[in-house]
Amino acid sequence: MSAIASEAPRRSWRPPAAVLGVLAILAVWELSARALAGAYLLAGPSDVTAYLWQNAGLMGRALRATLAEAAAGFVIGNAAAILLAALALLWPRAERGIAALALLVFCLPLVATGPILRVLFGPGPGPQITLAALAVYYTTLVPLLVGLRAAPSTWFDLVHSYGRGRLAELWHIRAMAALPYLFAGLQIAAPAAFLGAMVGEFTGAERGMGVLTIRAMRALDVEATWALAAVAALVSMAAYGAFGWLARRVLTEAPPVILAAPGGAATPRRGEGLARIAVVTVLALALWWGLLEAFGVNAFFAKRPDDVWAFLITAPDAGENRATLFGALAETAVYVLPGYLAGLALGAGLAVLLTLLPALAGAAMPVAIALRSVPIVTTAPLIVLVLGRGATGTVALVAVMVFFPTLIACLHGLRQAPGQVLDVFDAYASGRWRRLVHAQVPAMWPAFFATVRIAVPAAVLAVTVVEWLATGRGVGALMALSASLSDYGMLWSAVVVVAVLSCALYAVVAAVEARVLAIYAAEQGR
Amino acid sequence: MASSVPPPPPAIALDGLAKTFPGGVEAVAPTTLTLEAGRTTALVGPSGCGKSTILRLIAGLETPSAGGVDIAGEPPLAIRRRGELAVAFQDPSLLPWRSVRGNVALAMTLARRPTDPRAIDRLIDLVGLGGFGDTRPGALSGGMRQRAAIARCLVTEPRLLLLDEPFGAVDELTRRQLAQDLPRIWEARGTTTLLVTHSVSEAVTLADRILVFSPRPATVVADIDVPFERPRAPGLATRPEAIALAERVSSALAEGRAARERSLAAQ
Ligand SMILES: Nc1ncnc2c1ncn2[C@@H]1O[C@H](COP(=O)(O)OP(=O)(O)O)[C@@H](O)[C@H]1O
Ligand SMILES: [Mg+2]
Repeated sequence: MSAIASEAPRRSWRPPAAVLGVLAILAVWELSARALAGAYLLAGPSDVTAYLWQNAGLMGRALRATLAEAAAGFVIGNAAAILLAALALLWPRAERGIAALALLVFCLPLVATGPILRVLFGPGPGPQITLAALAVYYTTLVPLLVGLRAAPSTWFDLVHSYGRGRLAELWHIRAMAALPYLFAGLQIAAPAAFLGAMVGEFTGAERGMGVLTIRAMRALDVEATWALAAVAALVSMAAYGAFGWLARRVLTEAPPVILAAPGGAATPRRGEGLARIAVVTVLALALWWGLLEAFGVNAFFAKRPDDVWAFLITAPDAGENRATLFGALAETAVYVLPGYLAGLALGAGLAVLLTLLPALAGAAMPVAIALRSVPIVTTAPLIVLVLGRGATGTVALVAVMVFFPTLIACLHGLRQAPGQVLDVFDAYASGRWRRLVHAQVPAMWPAFFATVRIAVPAAVLAVTVVEWLATGRGVGALMALSASLSDYGMLWSAVVVVAVLSCALYAVVAAVEARVLAIYAAEQGR
Repeated sequence: MASSVPPPPPAIALDGLAKTFPGGVEAVAPTTLTLEAGRTTALVGPSGCGKSTILRLIAGLETPSAGGVDIAGEPPLAIRRRGELAVAFQDPSLLPWRSVRGNVALAMTLARRPTDPRAIDRLIDLVGLGGFGDTRPGALSGGMRQRAAIARCLVTEPRLLLLDEPFGAVDELTRRQLAQDLPRIWEARGTTTLLVTHSVSEAVTLADRILVFSPRPATVVADIDVPFERPRAPGLATRPEAIALAERVSSALAEGRAARERSLAAQ
């Protein structure tokens, strides 16, 4: 098992620890708000409650609109994931291609996809729903692809011994074996759908939480900003919790923790890898072109592959265009890389520290799981409010976005050290430190690398949102500017370049991962 | 359809059957023999010699690298398609999300039989799991799981029964009880049964014929007839003639190993 960390003992519900954690957060929040009163930065829980009370009608309408979009996107995105997984199952040779294409689409920067969808859909909830669907389908597809194959071969022998074929396999074995994996995906998808809907609203909608958030931010309305972020966080945690509860009711075993497609195994030979990239590129281009042609959308809004090629390569002002785009990308890289690396380091570091202090880990885990479900991007205005529009806010946002999934993945990974191996260490009375270095950290690598990969699109999403909304720098701001100037050539080019770069970074991490896992986790790598 | 006259149990013919795995592991050397209809044949041999492979070849779950299997004049797929085969795999392979009852019922579904709750509960009782019908496999011991797998095998009333070390994890006392009760079922129905085991006494008490295999690749080193009347008496294993027979099987096993070692040394 590689990135699949089946949670052996069911996550035990520790009300005292979780409740204490939440209370502690609320107390710190309220006290800091009181201490900083007058600085127009923080609104405490009491202020937020008062604001919500006074504006219940407005907030209720906005929340209803956003929830409806998120729900529609959730259903569509997950249905697409299930269809793609079924296709991969029927046609195993296509699985890698499907996964690669799905990743490429997942790497599309949502903030820029939003305005493009806006002109394609016109007014209404179309873009928000599409973004919500785009935000969820990949994190469901990946565990499903694993889950549909997560059955020992003797179960299939059983089906075959009664003369039954692939349909019975699918119905009696695969679908059921995949159910825990599906739930793992759905649980992560629930808050992600809300995030997608809100990002869709950030980029031009008539109503919804995202619209109110933008308005509050522009008006420097501290209480409204905090209240909106708090509602978004609570709704996301509730959705995450609801699916967790449902999973516990429906499943006989705890859902596995899968963050990204299992990697490390089966590195293709160089030629094969290149051939695969070529096939996926051709498919992506064909899909892009075919979809636009099929819907017959106006060439002014909807740029085709050759338009983007011309814009960046052959047009007379292509050099200028490239300079603008890559200049903005370089500016973004300065923010996103430190944030990304800091988030990874802090997440993994804290996980290791907590393993050395098991008592603390018991209290920290529920809090971390709750906060992990908060779509950090929806709280971007908050971070900007507190840390300013400079580098600190952006780096912090990216770091926080990466931090929680890394922490949780690493904590799970550290627990994956096989019991017998740990017993051996105990038998020699080795200290905690040796146990950690020789048994637990190696067991953590697969989960760690899975998050390192999936954190790439997450970090890109975070940085582009905050640049779009607030800082006015980097590629996110360039996208915002191009959208408002109707410079669709630049907008489409930015989308394509960001998606391709994200995929490339993902692939680089996967290559490093393959090397490291080959050394440290031979039998976990495959 | 009148179910009053059950179809006769099939005979099995292995014709030069051999299996070499893709990695180059020769598991079964070319084997030609016939297993009589309605009788119980035990396959005894050291572990890793290829017994499970032979069983899987007969079930058609593995493709032979040479030769073939013929079940009552047909390839294995035919009897499988009719749901007249049942296999107890070495690993109980129960589905963890189904209760014991659900796992037993699954066999009826897969064999396209109408689910018969009374038959299911009767078999669950017979294998000593009465009261555990609603329990999931995760909460059962290894031996209990194997017994559930045996119940699942029998519930479809198969004409051909392939049992791969079905009592491996079952405790001694229960095993003796099962050895008494289970043959009654297949004796009454005249099922053709193949029993893979590494227990000589199990082979002697349960089988009509014992095939002793050499270490890998599996070749038959002894073909021993078990002449005891059926139904077998509870104390059979302690009777002098049974003990003598068991010794014959044991010495055939030892002889098979020694012969294999001699031939290896000669190379
Ligand atoms: N699918 C397979 N691929 C490669 N080798 C196999 C496979 N199945 C079994 N073998 C090998 O074939 C030999 C016989 O295995 P098996 O039939 O399971 O033995 P037994 O049941 O007698 O213990 C063993 O050496 C085993 O490792
Ligand atoms: Mg075996």
